[in-house]
Amino acid sequence: MRPKIDGVDYAVDEHIWGHRLHDAQLPHLTVLEFLGVLGSNADNPLKAAPNEQVSYRPQRQMKLRGLLFNNPYVESIREKSLPDEDKWREWKTRFALDATEIDDADMEYLRRAFLSFDDFAKAIELLRSSAFEARSNKRWSSKFVFPFGPDALYEDLRVVGGKASNDRLFFGRTGELLYLMLCRAERGSELGEKLIGRLFNVSAPMNRLARTLQGKPQFSEAKDVGYLPQASNPRFDRLCDDWLAILSRDMPIYDALEHLIASAGLNMLLYFLERAKTQVGDAEPVELVCEIVSRERTKVRALSGDSYQANQSLSLRAVRAAVEQIRLCDEWAKAAETDDPDGERLCLMRAWFQWPPVDTDDETDYEKMTGDELVRMLADKAETRHEGHFGKIHAAWSRSIGLSSRRLSRRNRYAPNDRLLKTLVVSIVEDRMQFDEFLHEVRARYGLVIGDAEGAHLVRAKTVDQDALSDNRGNLETRLVGLGLVRRLSDSCSFVENPFVSKGEV
Amino acid sequence: MSATPSSQDAGAVPAGAWVRFLRSYGPTPNDLTLFDEYVVGAIGRAKVQPITLDSPQLEEMRLRVESGAHGSLLIAGTAGDGKTYHCRSLWGALGGDPCEWLISAPVKTLALADGRIAVFVKDLSAVSDERKSDEVLELLERSVLGEENKQFLVVAANHGQILERLRNLGLRQGRVHPLRKPLQDAFLLASKAPERLAIFDLSRTARRHSLDEVLSAVAGHAEWENCAKCSLRSPERLCPIYENRERLLGATDRGRFVRRLGDLVEVARLNGWHLPVRDLLALTANMILGHKDAREGLLSCADVAKIQEAGKTENGSIYDNVFGVNLPRKRANDHQVFRALATFGIGEETSNGADGLLVYGADDGNLLDAFNRLVKADSAYGATPSYLAAQLRYLEGEEIARIDGGAADFLARLETQRRRLFFTLPDDERDYPFWDMTAFRFAGDYLNMSAALAERKPVDETVRARMVRGLNRVMTGLLIENNDRVFVASSGGFTQSRISVLCDTEAPARRVGGVGMSVKIDALTERPALGVSLAQGEGGSTTFNLSPVRFEFLCRVAEGALPGSFSNECLEDMLAFKAKLLRKAELLRIERLSHDDEEPSEDNGALTLNFIEIEQNGHGFSRPITVRTGS
Repeated sequence: MRPKIDGVDYAVDEHIWGHRLHDAQLPHLTVLEFLGVLGSNADNPLKAAPNEQVSYRPQRQMKLRGLLFNNPYVESIREKSLPDEDKWREWKTRFALDATEIDDADMEYLRRAFLSFDDFAKAIELLRSSAFEARSNKRWSSKFVFPFGPDALYEDLRVVGGKASNDRLFFGRTGELLYLMLCRAERGSELGEKLIGRLFNVSAPMNRLARTLQGKPQFSEAKDVGYLPQASNPRFDRLCDDWLAILSRDMPIYDALEHLIASAGLNMLLYFLERAKTQVGDAEPVELVCEIVSRERTKVRALSGDSYQANQSLSLRAVRAAVEQIRLCDEWAKAAETDDPDGERLCLMRAWFQWPPVDTDDETDYEKMTGDELVRMLADKAETRHEGHFGKIHAAWSRSIGLSSRRLSRRNRYAPNDRLLKTLVVSIVEDRMQFDEFLHEVRARYGLVIGDAEGAHLVRAKTVDQDALSDNRGNLETRLVGLGLVRRLSDSCSFVENPFVSKGEV
Repeated sequence: MSATPSSQDAGAVPAGAWVRFLRSYGPTPNDLTLFDEYVVGAIGRAKVQPITLDSPQLEEMRLRVESGAHGSLLIAGTAGDGKTYHCRSLWGALGGDPCEWLISAPVKTLALADGRIAVFVKDLSAVSDERKSDEVLELLERSVLGEENKQFLVVAANHGQILERLRNLGLRQGRVHPLRKPLQDAFLLASKAPERLAIFDLSRTARRHSLDEVLSAVAGHAEWENCAKCSLRSPERLCPIYENRERLLGATDRGRFVRRLGDLVEVARLNGWHLPVRDLLALTANMILGHKDAREGLLSCADVAKIQEAGKTENGSIYDNVFGVNLPRKRANDHQVFRALATFGIGEETSNGADGLLVYGADDGNLLDAFNRLVKADSAYGATPSYLAAQLRYLEGEEIARIDGGAADFLARLETQRRRLFFTLPDDERDYPFWDMTAFRFAGDYLNMSAALAERKPVDETVRARMVRGLNRVMTGLLIENNDRVFVASSGGFTQSRISVLCDTEAPARRVGGVGMSVKIDALTERPALGVSLAQGEGGSTTFNLSPVRFEFLCRVAEGALPGSFSNECLEDMLAFKAKLLRKAELLRIERLSHDDEEPSEDNGALTLNFIEIEQNGHGFSRPITVRTGS
């Protein structure tokens, strides 16, 4: 029996990928939402069983976010040559004009916290400088401070006329699903403890600063997390192991976060593609042919563009397949033997897809349609809806993590950037690894095809010649040398080195 | 014993056979000759004495075997390091029959006097049969990690090759091969080799000393004596071959040329380049014989007369030949040594002073003395009549010089002269420091620092201060001048952020009581390394290995200019170093907190943020801001 999904007209994508993956929720926003769920479950982190309902109570932190992102006057007032007293007064008046009046009317505590207005302004400036998308033109209530610690976390909100609500514009449950994925990974609870230990440190200086600006945390109401179909999946384990590997590296946690975000993005993107492939009945592993951009134009560019296109079209095919599949099930066949085959099939459709609706004001009379007509209609509807959001995930996320690009080309293609390459090295390489082995690992773990050994089947199929792929491999080697990640021993031998391997900790 | 030159050369060009032999060592398109297997035959044909190089490692190999120590020998190296040569020589030294060596079997056995059996594999890549290769690797494993004492292996292999074979074998056997990691670490100098395995890594020995040896073996070769009888060489006729050889011997410049070339090789080595002996031989042959107009860019004696008549002797300038200017670019790039030397940018790099001298020197009264001394004095490769004529054309702006590319001739000559200056400027020429003619302006300081450290002497204060200033600028992203302490700064968030205004912690620029910055030679890499220690004890320190490139980067940053070409790699390295220091600071903070359990927390109710601010004079200081955090 399929679980009921609330708040949807029909459930198709939801049963393939879960409720839900959201295209506009880029990986960093996913991780921020995830951290909210994690923080709320800090006493039992990532330990929920697959059948357990996870719920959480996100923070709102209206004061903190207001001070950071709805407070444009601090700097100009600081620059004025006024006595300290006057600066505070002027700022207070200005701030009150924009204040949401959701618990942010009384800001008097700030004067007690800071010795001078200038100090206060400096602190605000510091927090802003590290915020995500601080300069973007997003609404202020969708801007986020760097997750320094538990006090710096809050949910995405819509704030209008003194009221705040969740419109799920940027927090669309993808972070909730990330939480579930990691719960269901084999080493999930180990990861949970580590994350709490490293990231939820109340006494971290920057967290204390955030807490000082915010005061006591402000909470939203409790909510249940979304729905993730599978109880286990090798991809969940991969993601979890990658995160554990990143956390074991010798780097500050705030730096590790960048890699955690990219790693989450990559693995969730692969989850998205892999589930689609399974749905369309394609047993081949997902493959992403990557061009390593260099000064010279290469033949791999066209190939990686094709690879991108092929993967881009996967999810749409998966949606149609998911709907049409119902015709292959036993109940559908059995319905033919009953008095009312179409009626039976309509009930079956409802059980699978929560559609057609029972009470409806639309004019279609579903009762009069045949089963096949219903399937066709839902498949069309589902495709249209898919194109609106789910269908954009591959493009949006792959660009966001630096996997795809249109640099030097009119087409999108896979062309990983330096940041992503660095994340790959940090997550894969324990201390050092032969370059060939690294390429092999990258292929085995993430389906990324770069060198001629990994693309041997493409060479055999004559889609590309071996030289082009081996040049591509050489380009990667050169790029990694430039990033300080590869050491050449001799012409025939080079090593990928992880600069953040811990040796002798304090 | 001198060779009998073949009859046709005997008249006009008495050293013809020798030069032809030497020429085959040069970077010709088919420089096959240098494969050890081929050399024996070539010597026979040319009837000259071979070029003999000392091989200190050979003696060590022989001693190791004769000591009866258990375990195997691995002769590792890059193509051209002389692996086969060493293998063959060891075979001979242990009493092996030279004729048996020539049989093409890749694996040979030799019964030793002490009853043990040595299994020789002269080239692992030649063992193509998988079963045979597995047998070899199994013997290696048994003799190194096991109890096998009756047989041992002498195997020559490329680094990558043997690691790859071990990996494949491991994969097929469903295990991680126990020798792979130790070998890899030993190659990368991360740790010592297993006790029962003697690794002779020939690629490690390419350094100044081996260059000197090759140079004297070639330039000091007895066959040159035949040149005394040569009619192409007289006070009026300059033979470029002989001239270059003379310059290599260093009689007129007291070895300056060889010393500078040695500096380049040393700096390249410390930057991670491996220069196999085969390349050093190719370089030496090219330095002596190189000439643009010769067949394949390399002179033979028969070409000399033509070159002399055409007045093109100067195109055989040894200073151009060092960089393979006489060769098509692609052929030069086939050799590591030319690629390595190209990284110095010698010829393109210059200073205003040096270019001023080269362009206006002949006409400017202020420069005339220096011009005569540094340029004109060298009548062979310096201000030759054709150089002076080109200079005049360029300066007088003859019509032809004004059209596009019209100045190309002079500009090419300018590059040639810059190369010459690098090798000929006196050490103490204050207005024209020779390192300024390279992309590594601080390489001299680097070498001096390394030498001082090796002798346990202190680092020059100016150099030290410059490094600290550079380090601070990278750490903070601010143009600060401090050289008394190292700021470990963060932006609050990602380390990658360009500007970090928050001072996490700071350490004195000099190690005192176990805390602060120190400069030492790292024993494994033989490079100076910066160690910044934030707390006493082992774990408090993070080190940063200073290659010449990284040193150059730090110095240039300290002087206020960011060199574009190699900055990215170095910046990434530095940021990784910074991240590690911040992590150290994080761990120390945690440790301190856990120790403070019993007394009231040091910052009870207050939080201090140290902002780095800059004074008018560029001095950075950390200004604390106190925040009352309440309870």
